[in-house]
Amino acid sequence: MLLQEMRKTALQVFFVLLTIGAFAFLAPSPAAAQPKGEPIKIGWIAELSGTWSFFGATGLTAAQIAEEEINAKGGVLGRPLQVVPMDNRTDPAQAASAARMLDTQHKVLTFSGPTSSDTALAVYGYAEQNQVPFVVPVAAFPRLTRPGTQWTFRVEPDAVGWGYAIVKFVEKMKPGASIALIYSDFALQRAIVAGIKYQAERSGIKIATDIIFPQNATDATVQAAQVKSKNPDFVFVSGGGAFDVTLTNQILDLGIKPEQIIHPFGAVKMILGWGQRSVGSYYGTFFDHSLGGLNDYGKGLISKFTKRAGYIPAYIENFCYATVYLIKEALEKAGTADRTKFRDAMRNINTKEVTTGIPMVFDKNGARKEYMYFLQMKEVGKDTYQSKEAFYIEWDPEVIPVYQLAP
Amino acid sequence: MIFRRAAVVGLVLLALLLPFLLSANRFYAFILGVTYLYVLWSSGMNLLSGFTGLMPLMYAGLAGIGAYTSVNLVMKFGVSFWLAMPAGALAAAVVGVVLGLPSLRLRGFYFTLSGLVIQTALTMLFVYIPQFTGGDTGISQIPPPMISLPGDKSFALTGVWLEEALAVAALLTVYVVHRVTRSTWGKYLVAIREDDLLTEALGIGVTRYRVLAFFISSLFAGVGGAFYAHYMGFVSPRSFDVLTSMNIWLIVGFGGQGTILGPIVGTIILAPIPYIMQELYLYKDIVYGSLIVFTTIFLPRGVYGSVLFHRRNRALSRSSAQGKTEAARL
Amino acid sequence: MTLENILLNGMAVITTGLIVGAIFSLVAAGVTIMYGTIWFPNASNGQFFMLAALLMWSLVVNWGLSPFLGAVVVIVGSIPFSLVLEKFLVRPFYNVPNRNIVYFIMTLGLAQIFAGAFTGTYGRWSDQFSLPAAWPGAILLGPFPFPRTRLLVLVIALTLLAGLFVFLRLHRVGRALRAVFQNREAAILRGVDVRRIYRFSFVLAMLVITMGGVLFAMAYGFDLTMAWTMAIIGFAIMIVGGPGSVLGSVVIGMIFGFTQAVVSLFASPTLAAFSYLVVMLIILLVKPSGLFAR
Repeated sequence: MLLQEMRKTALQVFFVLLTIGAFAFLAPSPAAAQPKGEPIKIGWIAELSGTWSFFGATGLTAAQIAEEEINAKGGVLGRPLQVVPMDNRTDPAQAASAARMLDTQHKVLTFSGPTSSDTALAVYGYAEQNQVPFVVPVAAFPRLTRPGTQWTFRVEPDAVGWGYAIVKFVEKMKPGASIALIYSDFALQRAIVAGIKYQAERSGIKIATDIIFPQNATDATVQAAQVKSKNPDFVFVSGGGAFDVTLTNQILDLGIKPEQIIHPFGAVKMILGWGQRSVGSYYGTFFDHSLGGLNDYGKGLISKFTKRAGYIPAYIENFCYATVYLIKEALEKAGTADRTKFRDAMRNINTKEVTTGIPMVFDKNGARKEYMYFLQMKEVGKDTYQSKEAFYIEWDPEVIPVYQLAP
Repeated sequence: MIFRRAAVVGLVLLALLLPFLLSANRFYAFILGVTYLYVLWSSGMNLLSGFTGLMPLMYAGLAGIGAYTSVNLVMKFGVSFWLAMPAGALAAAVVGVVLGLPSLRLRGFYFTLSGLVIQTALTMLFVYIPQFTGGDTGISQIPPPMISLPGDKSFALTGVWLEEALAVAALLTVYVVHRVTRSTWGKYLVAIREDDLLTEALGIGVTRYRVLAFFISSLFAGVGGAFYAHYMGFVSPRSFDVLTSMNIWLIVGFGGQGTILGPIVGTIILAPIPYIMQELYLYKDIVYGSLIVFTTIFLPRGVYGSVLFHRRNRALSRSSAQGKTEAARL
Repeated sequence: MTLENILLNGMAVITTGLIVGAIFSLVAAGVTIMYGTIWFPNASNGQFFMLAALLMWSLVVNWGLSPFLGAVVVIVGSIPFSLVLEKFLVRPFYNVPNRNIVYFIMTLGLAQIFAGAFTGTYGRWSDQFSLPAAWPGAILLGPFPFPRTRLLVLVIALTLLAGLFVFLRLHRVGRALRAVFQNREAAILRGVDVRRIYRFSFVLAMLVITMGGVLFAMAYGFDLTMAWTMAIIGFAIMIVGGPGSVLGSVVIGMIFGFTQAVVSLFASPTLAAFSYLVVMLIILLVKPSGLFAR
């Protein structure tokens, strides 16, 4: 069965590659009602090899589902929409040169794609310097929309804001509570913690302890014991990569209850990794198949993506999918595939995320009006899980000084 | 003799013309630019690994020092690239010698390992001093080199002109390395590589020449680093980590250590692969790795090195009847 | 600090240091045997470690095997795999003078092949992999709950290390191995078939690394970055302990393990990471043959 599944994955990858190859070298494919004409290109710079290639690849799949749907319904402005993927090898320098190549060689309308903040920032530098629109689907660094940004738009709420949301959530659950922080030393986690600490002071939430792990840590038992000794009401748990599962397990091993644990974000594989013993824990997210109120697009994404990739999509895939639709809408509003007009349309757009109906509006720096769900895990199986909404919050990107907290 | 001279001149002219020939296709022009950069880097490293027999794994870290120095001088202090780049090279060379000095006494593999440790430390340093390096997220929007013209104007070297500058830099590097190896102390370096104990016994300061080789090699690392930064427009600590050092060293080893053309051949074959295989990103690592394994087993002297070796063998058997040898040919 | 807290933290430190140290020691022992005997510095040892862990994951999570059966399959399966590798990649160079450099480059290439293969297959399936607990539940050491799986891993790891030690000191083949490491010519004179010893030590080293990978998968979650991390740790321990010295690997491995376990109690993570590097460098410069060299 393993071989079959691996072959299946390999086959799917092969098919994705074949499709990419076909789109990259040939004109649009032989389906019925295909729009004709010069395609409008989105330069999709993603982490397709290297350390975090899983996220780049999964986002690309979702983007391609959106692309196919749009083209099946006539494309945009009567022309086909083309997602041009380019690998950045999870390396910022590669991302910068991918940006340059997509701009000068493929003459794309806009960039999109990065799921990682450091690669996104590299593309940001190029985009702002060379006046190319850049719609970032999944990368949470505030710096992507620092004041003065002209061409970049960030779809995912910023990481410092997540920290703000976490404190608001804790405040609602138990005013005056204490929260222990235990996390890995990555820029993303540092940004979230900066937000937590800032808002905790203002909300009367106490920080019980603050423990950071180096990037290649293996074992967290000792630190988990430290957390347990402090008897906090809640524990903020966020490891980097697989260490997150180890960290979570070891915190639970020491006797912290699942209901005390708050994870800042939950991608599907992470939730499945936390497993049945984490039932009762909370995690933040922006899209989840357990959420009620999903419309047809949302449900469609879930079923199509699950069929194509073999696992359920979560917020990363959703943002990539929704971003492609957002670009389409902005294009229609602009009326022409001109970079400046497209950018202006994005600035003035007032629409909803195609899968969930959550508002999509951007401020003068390209930061989106932000939101977050907190879900509680109810049940975890081998391939699927169920969670329940526990809290929802919306906020303005500059509700706290995010640009100072994560320079 | 004349044929060889003509061939060299022809190749130099080709190298200078290529940026213009390819300038319409930015993709290929970019690959060309990257190739020139790696020719520069690998020739510089060849001086150390090929001719002195040391495998310097901290090379990329030194390149990073050159890059960050140049970038900081240009972006924070408005210094011209043409001053900042040599400053960066010098910084790299000084750091290289200071860090490398203690380990120069070590033999073979231990020197390699100490280089690995120093490289890891340098990459970590780059991450943890964001005031100079922008940390993990790097420095973007690095301006291209400017040439000041009379009348208070300046001309930015971008596109084809920057590739041309890279071509010139690469050619100069190859030339310098060539002259060094031909010189007396170039020959000392080879003697040290072959048998350092004997060389020491003959009264030639082994460590002194190693340090010199290290200094010059690190200079080129820094030059390349500065050019890299202003060519790519973006640097991050990941650009200068162990894998980069190893890639450069692989190019040298693959092409043929200890020969002048070896690194050039190696660069031309290996450097474009990640870019040409961009679409087939899943396979590029496998292809790259397989090439290396293949070369280790079947072409242990590197591609060009093997060519030279066979040519020499044939020449030897041909001329042995007359009692001549070409043993001193490098 | 209450007594309960002291016990809690104390037991945590001891058990964690032992487990992490034991796994580090296994990896380092494998690396040092390979380098000490055959002069084979294996830059892809981290990839083999991860291959063992990934295969464990496939067998247990996808095929539903019990972790014990899975472990046996992977470990036993490593033997034919090692034999094939030895025949085609290692043996051709036995008589080459600078073979350590050759091996190093070659294994760098090999590591890249594996990395690419993993990214394209496992890396598309998930960003992280973890196994269900092999032995659920925990025993209480005072106030400290010690998960049974970790106890199991610890016992097995320490037993393996002890077994390796005994083998090298007392068994005929083990002593031949050490003889070859110390002095190849003398070993030949004493009638040792050096080539067979090389083959044996390669397979043994790979076996030890595989065991380390299997145990790691049982105790922790892992992702694709682990390969390179473990490779560096393995080399670091080998350098400090002394190439070829299994005793050195174990002692230094344990020290590294304990340091990792407690570092965040006393110092910032940056400082910790830097301190490893500084120690390695000092050893290289002052006593390159390592602390436990013969």
